[in-house]
This record gives sequence, C-alpha cells and structure tokens, in this order.
Amino acid sequence: MTQFILKRLLSGVITIWFIATATFIGMHSVPGDPLANEKAVAPEIRRNLEARYGLDKPVWQQYGIFLGNMLRGDFGISFTQKNRYVNDIIREHFPVSAVLGVLALIIATVGGVIWGALTAVYRDRWPDSVIMFLVVIAVSVPSFVFAMLGQLGILAMNEWLGFSLLPVAGWGSFGHMLVPALVLGLGTMAYLTRLMRSSMLEVTSADYIRTAKAKGVPPLRIFYKHQLRNAILPVITVLGPSIAAITTGGFVVELVFAIPGLGRFFVQAVQQLDYTVIMGTTVFYGAFLVIMVLLVDILYGFIDPRIRVGKVRG
Amino acid sequence: MNQTLETNPTLTSNPQMTPADFEPLVKTRQADLIVRPSLSFWQDTWQRLKRNRRAIYSLYLIIGLLSFSYLLPLFVSFDIAEQDLTQISQPPGLGRQSLVVDTKPWAGRFVEEGERRQLQTAPFDSRAKVAGLEVVGEANTESVRLSWQPLAGAIGYRVYRHLLVPSGPADLGLPLGQTDQPGQISFEDRLKLQNISYYYSVQAVSYDGQLSDYSTVEVKPRHAISLRAALSRGLVDANDAEAMLGQEVELKRHLMGTDYLGRDLMARLVYGGQTSLFIGIVAPLLFVAIGILYGGVSGYLGGRIDEVMMRFADFVIALPFLLFMILFRVAMGIGPGESGVTPMLIAMVLLGWPTAAKLVRGQVLQLREQPFVEAAQLMGANTHYLIWRHMLPNVMGVVLVSLTFSIPSAIFTEAFLSFIGMGVAPPTPSWGAMCNDGVKSFMSHPHELLFPALFISLTVLAFNLLGDGLRDALDAKMKG
Amino acid sequence: MSDIDNHPLNRKPDETPALAVDNLQVEFSAQGGRVQAVRGVSFSVQPGETLGVVGESGCGKSVTMMSIMGLIPMPPGRIVSGSAKLNGKELLHLPVKQLNKIRGVDISMVFQDPMSALNPTMRIGEQIAETLMIHRGMGHGDALKRAVDLLERTRIPEARKRVRQYPFEFSGGMLQRAVIAMSLACSPSVLVADEPTTALDVTIQNQVLELMREIQREEGMAIVLITHDLGVVARMADQVAVMYAGQIVERGSVDDIFYRSAHPYTLGLKAAMPTASMHVGERLMAIPGSPPDLFSPPAGCGYCRRCDYAMNVCEQQLPELISVGDSHASRCWLQHAQAQVDVDALYQPGASTC
Repeated sequence: MTQFILKRLLSGVITIWFIATATFIGMHSVPGDPLANEKAVAPEIRRNLEARYGLDKPVWQQYGIFLGNMLRGDFGISFTQKNRYVNDIIREHFPVSAVLGVLALIIATVGGVIWGALTAVYRDRWPDSVIMFLVVIAVSVPSFVFAMLGQLGILAMNEWLGFSLLPVAGWGSFGHMLVPALVLGLGTMAYLTRLMRSSMLEVTSADYIRTAKAKGVPPLRIFYKHQLRNAILPVITVLGPSIAAITTGGFVVELVFAIPGLGRFFVQAVQQLDYTVIMGTTVFYGAFLVIMVLLVDILYGFIDPRIRVGKVRG
Repeated sequence: MNQTLETNPTLTSNPQMTPADFEPLVKTRQADLIVRPSLSFWQDTWQRLKRNRRAIYSLYLIIGLLSFSYLLPLFVSFDIAEQDLTQISQPPGLGRQSLVVDTKPWAGRFVEEGERRQLQTAPFDSRAKVAGLEVVGEANTESVRLSWQPLAGAIGYRVYRHLLVPSGPADLGLPLGQTDQPGQISFEDRLKLQNISYYYSVQAVSYDGQLSDYSTVEVKPRHAISLRAALSRGLVDANDAEAMLGQEVELKRHLMGTDYLGRDLMARLVYGGQTSLFIGIVAPLLFVAIGILYGGVSGYLGGRIDEVMMRFADFVIALPFLLFMILFRVAMGIGPGESGVTPMLIAMVLLGWPTAAKLVRGQVLQLREQPFVEAAQLMGANTHYLIWRHMLPNVMGVVLVSLTFSIPSAIFTEAFLSFIGMGVAPPTPSWGAMCNDGVKSFMSHPHELLFPALFISLTVLAFNLLGDGLRDALDAKMKG
Repeated sequence: MSDIDNHPLNRKPDETPALAVDNLQVEFSAQGGRVQAVRGVSFSVQPGETLGVVGESGCGKSVTMMSIMGLIPMPPGRIVSGSAKLNGKELLHLPVKQLNKIRGVDISMVFQDPMSALNPTMRIGEQIAETLMIHRGMGHGDALKRAVDLLERTRIPEARKRVRQYPFEFSGGMLQRAVIAMSLACSPSVLVADEPTTALDVTIQNQVLELMREIQREEGMAIVLITHDLGVVARMADQVAVMYAGQIVERGSVDDIFYRSAHPYTLGLKAAMPTASMHVGERLMAIPGSPPDLFSPPAGCGYCRRCDYAMNVCEQQLPELISVGDSHASRCWLQHAQAQVDVDALYQPGASTC
C-alpha cells in the first residue's frame, strides 16, 4: 500500500510539472511580448515584471525562473488589476468555488448512486424508464441552459410564493448555493446514474449474489452488504474525472448566477488577456485536479481490498 | 432410487402401435443444418443496429440535422448578417402583416396664441391632472401621437412611457421628453416601438418647476413599416409607392424569429450548425485518426517505446481539458472578438488524441495475442497484410464507438467555450455563440436561447443514442 | 431395493428421502415464446447417498437444482408444476422469507467457479460467518471462530490467518474448499454441488472430490452432484441420473449406468469419454448433431435425430421411463416390449464396435 501511494505521488508530481511546462510553452508562444499588450502596465511595474519573469533572458532561463516561482507558489501580479497578487485572488475566490463544487459533488454522487441503484432494482419497469429518460435529457442539454432554467425556476417560484425564498443570484447563504450546486452537479449525476445502473446490473447477475441467495441471506442484506458495496466501486474510480468536470462546469454556473468564484474570475481574466492570472490559475487548477485524482486513487485503494493488499493478479 | 412415476411398460403401450412403428427410422435430414447465411462483420453489426429503433431514429435525426445545415442553404438562400430592424427579437411565427406609413414628422397640436397667454398667467394647481389625454390617429410602431387638453399655469409637459401600469408619480417609466414649443399640447413617440402595450403618462410643468399630477393612457401600437424601409426591402413597388400608404404589406418571414439585432434566427441556426457540426465532427475525426496512428504504432512496436509513448499520452490526458483549450486558444493569438474555428480545432486535436490512442493500443495489444493473427503469421502473411486485413477491421469497431461518443463532447466543448466567450466569436454564428447571445435576452425573448440550445441538445442526444446502439451491436458481436 | 419397497407408500417412515423431486417442470419466457428447460424431472436422494446428475451443457441439470433452491430469476423463469420435498417439506413456491430459513441451513450449494462465487470485497471469514450469524444467531466473534474451525475442517492450512484474507488471495482449489466450508456451516442434510470441479486443475479436482466424500462420510448428508464428467460420476455417485433435453433419460445405480447402460445417449456419452488405453492419434468419439431446441420440443424422443438405433415410433411419440431392472429405468422405445431388438447385445460392453 505504501508503495502504491508513493508511486502515485511521484506520478502526480511529474504530472503537475508537465502541466506547468505545457502552460509555460502555451503562454510563451503567444505572439509578441505579453507585456506589450494594450493593457500593459505602468513603466516601473513593467520593469519590475520583466525582471521578475526575466523576459529579457533566454527562454530556458525564463523557464527556470517560471518553475522556481511556481514551486514557491508565487503566481505573480495581475495585469489588469493593479497591485493584486494572483495568490490573493486565488485565496479569496477559490474557497467559494470549492464550497460550491463540494456541494455539487455530494449532490451528484449521492444522487447518482441512489438513482442508479433504483433503476437497477426496477429494471425495465417504469421507474427505470423515467429515470433513464431524465438521464438522457440531462446529458444532452448544455449546462448553461440548465443554469438559465434554474434561475428562471427560482424567479417563478418566488413570484408564486409571493416572497423571495431563494435568491436568484449572488453568494453568501446556503440558499445562494442550493440551485447552482444542483445545476452544477446535474450532468455528473446523470453520468454517475448510468454508471451505477450498469454496475448494479452487472453485480446483480454476479455469481456471488447467487451464492449469497443460496446461503439464505435476506434480500435487503444482499442488497446493501453484497450488491451496493461492489457496485459503488466503479463509481469511485470516476470521481477524479467528475471533480474535473464539476470544476470546469463551475465556470458557467458562476457566470450565470453571479457567484464570485475563481471560475468566473478565470473567464474574466481570459477575456481581458490577463496573462499572469491565466497562467497562475491554470497551473493552480491543474495541480488541484491532479491532487484530487491522486486522493481519489488512494481512497479507492483503501476501499478495494484488491489494491489495498497489493496483490493484484492477472 | 424411487420410481414414483414409473409405470409398467405394458400399461403405457399404445394399442395402436404396430410393428411398423418399430422399424428403423430412415433419416431424411442431417443432424446439423446451418441455415443462417453468413454475414460479414459490418453486415452483421448493421443488422443488429437496424433492430435498435432508438439508434436508427437517432441516425435519421443526425442526417436531418446535417441536411438542415449543409443541404438546406443549397436550395434556400439565407442571409445571416442582414438586420431586419423592423423586427427585432421577434418570436417565431409565420408571415406578419405591417402597415405602410409615411414617416414625415408630425407638426403637432398647439393652443391658440390668445388662449395660451390666458392659460399661462392662470395659477398652477399641482394637484390638477392633465385632461383629455388621447391618441391621435392610429398608433403604430413607427410613431405614436399623443395630445391632451392644456392645463392652467403650465409652461410645458413631460411625457413618460412605461411597460406596466404606473404605480405612482415616481414610477412613470422611461422619460421620453418635455414639450419645448410654446403652447404645444402634443407629443410624437418614435423611439424603438414594438408591437406591445405601453402606458403613456403626461405631467404638466409650471414655470417654477412644479409638477402636476399625471394622467395615463394605454396604447398598443400596430405593427408598421415606414415607406422608405418598405421600398428598400422591396416590399412595395416603387412605381405606385404613394398608393401603398395606409395599406398592409406582408413582412419578410422569420420562421424561427429574429435575434436581438433583428437577424433571422433560422439563417443563423443553419450556418451556426455548419460551424458547430464541422467542429463537432471534424475534430473527433482528426484526433481519432491521430489516435489510431499513435496507438497502433505504440501497440505494434510494444516494449520500451510503447511504455514511453503511453506515459506521454497519460500526461496529456492529465491536462485539464477545458482550461488548456482556453489556454491554447489564447496562445494561438486569438483574442476575444475574433472568430476561431481553426484554433479551436487544433486545440481540440492537441488535447483529444490520447484517449483514442490508448483505446487503439489496448486493442492492438489484445489482437496481437489472438490465435487468428498468429495463424495468419504462420501462414506467411506480411505486416502490411496483417495490419490491413486483421488489425484495422477489428480495431475499427471500438474506434467507431469512441468516435460517436466523442462528437457530442466536442459539440459541448464548442458550445461551452463559445458560451463563455472563448469560442467562435461574432459575427461567425455557431450554436454555442448563439446561446451566448441569447442568454442576455433570455427573460424577455427566450426563443433566442432555446432554439440554439435545442439544436445542440438534439445533436448530442442523437449521437449519444447512436453510440449506445453501435456499442451494443458491436458488443453482442464480440461476445458471439 | 425393489421397486415395490421403494414406492413412497411402502417405505418405512425413517426412510424419508433427504430430497425428493417429483415431475418438476420449469420454463423460461423468452422473446416470442417459452423455453421448456425442465420437462418433468423426478428423482430422490437418501441421506448419506450421492446422486450424480450427468448431461451435456444446456440439458437442464443446473436449472433443475437452481429452481429447487429458488435461485432462478422469476420472471422470466416459472415453475410450471411438480414438487420438491426436503426431508418431507415442500420447497417449491415458498415465500422468500421461509425459503431463507431453509437455504444454507438444510440445503446448501457449491458452485462451479469458486473465483466468482465469492464476494470479492468481503473477507473469506466474514462470508462464512455471515451464514452462521443469520441462521444460528451467532455473534460476530463466535461466528468467526467457527469459520476458522470450518476452514480447518476443509483442510485449509493456517486457517486463522486465512479467514482474514480476501478471495483473490486464495488459489482456485483453496477457494473451492472455502466454498465447501461455507456450505457446511449449518450442517445441511443435502449438499448440491454444481460442477464443483470443472473450473479446477485435475490434481486439485481429486483433492476436492476426496474432501467431499470424507465430509459426507462424517456428516451423513446427501449430495447431488451435477457434472458432465462421467469420470467424476464413476468415482463419487451411488445413483446416477442421465439428463437430456430437460428430461431424465436413464437412471439407476452407478453400476447400472456404466455396465448395463440402457439408453443410446448414455452409450454415446460413454463412447465420448477418453480412456487411458487410447492411442495417440486416436479420435475421441463425439455424438453428432446438437440437442433439440427446447423452444419447441419435438413430439417424439429428443435424441431421435442423433440416435443410431432410432425407429419410426421415436419420432412420433415420447417414450416413458421404462423399468429395466431394480431401480434402473430408461426412457427409450428400444426397451419397449413390442420392440424386437436384442437390447442386451446392443448395450453389453464389448458388443459395441468402437
């Protein structure tokens, strides 16, 4: 197990390095001098920046400085918002995205497991058809449409109630989070529902379920002790990619619901060509996702004995 | 062993049985008969797919969407840039009638000179209302003409326009202006009128700036088009243009309505579909092709090279996809406000190939161990033959399924990027960019978002269902 | 035992069979019709006795046992008629709740592939203990201790360590021992073994079979051994039932079946068995053709088209089980009084010319 974790950690570090390098190459190939942009800063800051990023030095030296800065966790100063460190921006706005994302992930996972298990239990009967129909809709409609519809839904509900039960946009209370998190988690929930369904069906027809029946294990116990546990394993393996999907999906939801998260900030930075913010957030998000996937891997290792004990055959 | 069911043989013997029954049976048929015609791999897959109704309907839907975008413009000409300013944000519908009107400014109504002096000197009562507010002539979307009775002590009148019934003096709506000529008791509104109800309010102003109480009139202007606009659009004949005044003409049809700039939504959906479907289909085709090459080489060579190649693919997969899509687009010098179909395509291919490559490599590794490949090698097949005859056809099934599932995600990516303003930018239409435009007016004109969103959803749905069907058909085939 | 003695009405009370199945019919609904998987099967097993059920794949031998255990999915499966009595108690059509008081307690099952028959994410000990906790109301600790005993009984070394391991840490033979240990947890009176050795290496097969025999000797339970391997039957069974196309075509003692075969199908099976005296290059005999489609079973004998001795009547009418000796019966027209065939010459070993 220790060896497994160490191996994963090492590959995680290399992946983050790769992401940083790709970011550097990407941003370095931007035509022209990134500081010569129309949104460039005052001459003294420009000189500072040039010295800081060594823009006058050869590329490999710049790369070294860049990696050094990243390693120290120094993402630089925003181009468009003077005197604002990218670190501060991330520190201020990321927690908002994180809270929203965690809520969405919880909704997606719990929902996906419950709906998926339900469809498998009611296979080919109406609950199965209804849920799978909704799943098809949920994976086919773009998230921003759901975001808009969600907003419209809140409006209509508030109007019908005669008072404002849930705020239409903004941030601050649990009420602000509820619908955005639901919208954000919807696509992932649909995906997990499908996965859970096929996984449940596979487990249902597995030999060990038959064995359990032949042992006289009551149906309910078979369901939670034998079926659910084994069926959830594949769902856990895709939690890493799900976190990535929810993180990037957050851009749209934060935009539509005017939530001051890092995603909205990133989109703004891209629209304003704020290079340091783009680079900083990309590397930060990249590292964050790699760490999340790593954590999910290790978590999976703890749950699946075949990996924990470390003697995978075949 | 107990033999509860057994009975004495003599009891069961059928009395009608004759010795002939116990003659040896002449066998007329072979024990084994293969009746099913043999089908090639693809024929069989197609047979299975045809039995899947949902997949077939999806295929029809895809063909329909492709024809909508690529065939329709061959027969009908669309103009995606033309702005129909008489019909802005028009909901979908058939032809609309419009009144041809003259747009010469209205002279207005005035109080006679003598009366005006008399009224001006009279005391102003701020609790009085402007009386007799009425519409002059027929209100239309080119102009709404109002007039009212003069109020004692007033030197001018303010006119407001509201979409709702005013709830008090502070809620009269959009201030349109104040009468500026002495004795003027009329106002002509020509400001972006639409075919909806308005509430006009008029307040009198005294020389010392006091305001009177307001009176309100509800007006629903009829759809009208100025003679000049009608002429330029060719809606009326230039020879007898004057005769058309006061007549109705049929406006240009916008089957799916218009957008916030008065552009025909259907035209934009057709051309937007070309962009979206092009990116959605060509990008996966390209990266799957690269994936086949990369994965095929990696799997075929095997060993150390394979390991290095796959490790690199793993790294590329680890890059957060959408972030790097944005980053690469920025890197390629595409700022906001520029169209960017090609950079988006390149970015998608750069980031999309490893999944297909890993898939193909896995398949090739598996196939290499298959007995039929070994058999072919034993029989002296060369590499070229092996790859074309045995490897490719067997890999193609999995690749086709992965391709079908890549298309919806590519279309989603385009929509997502365009939605946050980093994809295809105006004036080039794409379904995603149209959604981005539509969001701004979603509350008042939902069709501007819903139509492109519907097209995206239908495309994604169809490809997903087709992919499901294909996978099932191929899976069944693989399992025998 | 004579036929008369064997009849239920004549049997002494202490001779209630451990398992008695009578005219069991099972069908599965499929697209556009029903598959008649089991078409009237009757047999019984006495305590301490082993019944071997032989037949090729799809002949209904597994379905028979599964439907007795209530393990076939319903729908699409359906028990059309018949009865199955375990120590005199009816099993069929029992509600799940009552069935679960019997399954794993009085009748338990050993499956073909031990690798997939055990829950991969549950420790071996837990899986054995589960039975005890449910049926015997034992606490977790006690049940685990008993699990160690059971593993030791099935000769698994280091049982104390092994209970805490997962199935993937076991070898195939060890796993099958663990499965047997699990099925023995509540000392059942009938053990159904569905091809228990098919997935195992030959050397391991012997050990597992030996283990089963030994346990049977100690516990005195009845074993129903489902297999397609005549060698296994010859070693293990006291009584044999040969199944073909959802029916028993011949049954009798193991000597009856092997030395006094009375059905052409049994003959074919025997001919298809490799023997130690075979020469290199000598071909194994195979029965040509395939069993009839049970979607629409033929009016006559199901084996008729593959049978070398088929007669006209075979194609038209299904034969009954015809008694050919003490507790030996065959479902074949050749045994009929009117058939002028020298049956003995046909079936005597050495008389056949292969």
